[in-house]
Amino acid sequence: MKPGKVVGKVTLHQADPAFRGARWLMVAPMGESELTGQNPGGISSEWSPVVYDNLGAGDGDTILYVEGSEATQPFDRPIPLDAISVAIIDSHEFATPTQS
Amino acid sequence: MIHARIDGHAVSSICHPSLTGQKIVLCTPIDETGDAIGSPIAAVDPLGAGLHARVFITTDGQFTQGAVGDDTSPVRNQVIGLID
Repeated sequence: MKPGKVVGKVTLHQADPAFRGARWLMVAPMGESELTGQNPGGISSEWSPVVYDNLGAGDGDTILYVEGSEATQPFDRPIPLDAISVAIIDSHEFATPTQS
Repeated sequence: MIHARIDGHAVSSICHPSLTGQKIVLCTPIDETGDAIGSPIAAVDPLGAGLHARVFITTDGQFTQGAVGDDTSPVRNQVIGLID
């Protein structure tokens, strides 16, 4: 599970039928500088995955998302998916030993 | 398994049902000397590791699903060992 900041939404015109009614979020992974607040913009240099979401996360929310085959676990049908949001973070604390 | 250091925690009220009541810790993968070697990852922590504790984290979904008792849970990382 990785922390990420929701920076946008994605709407698909044509999609795999397994994705009926899916909701997609553009997520910027949060690195150490984003989690500690040194980079308040929250946009890290890593590439932004598009994450399937059914928790209702919106712009600016901090979420935890899972990548890999575990992302298909909640579905009872085969689905070509590899990133899903698992939690919307209300508050977090993060400080490496040198900073605490 | 990932060798990591616990550097924080996260609180979430809206989450996948298998995560409710679970402690979520934010960890930095470290090498043997303790230097960070990757971006932070979050993990479920049933062992109650303290801040800046060095731990082992599994990335095996099957094991974590068994621990949270929900085989439809997408959760993947879990603290499975505290390093002395």
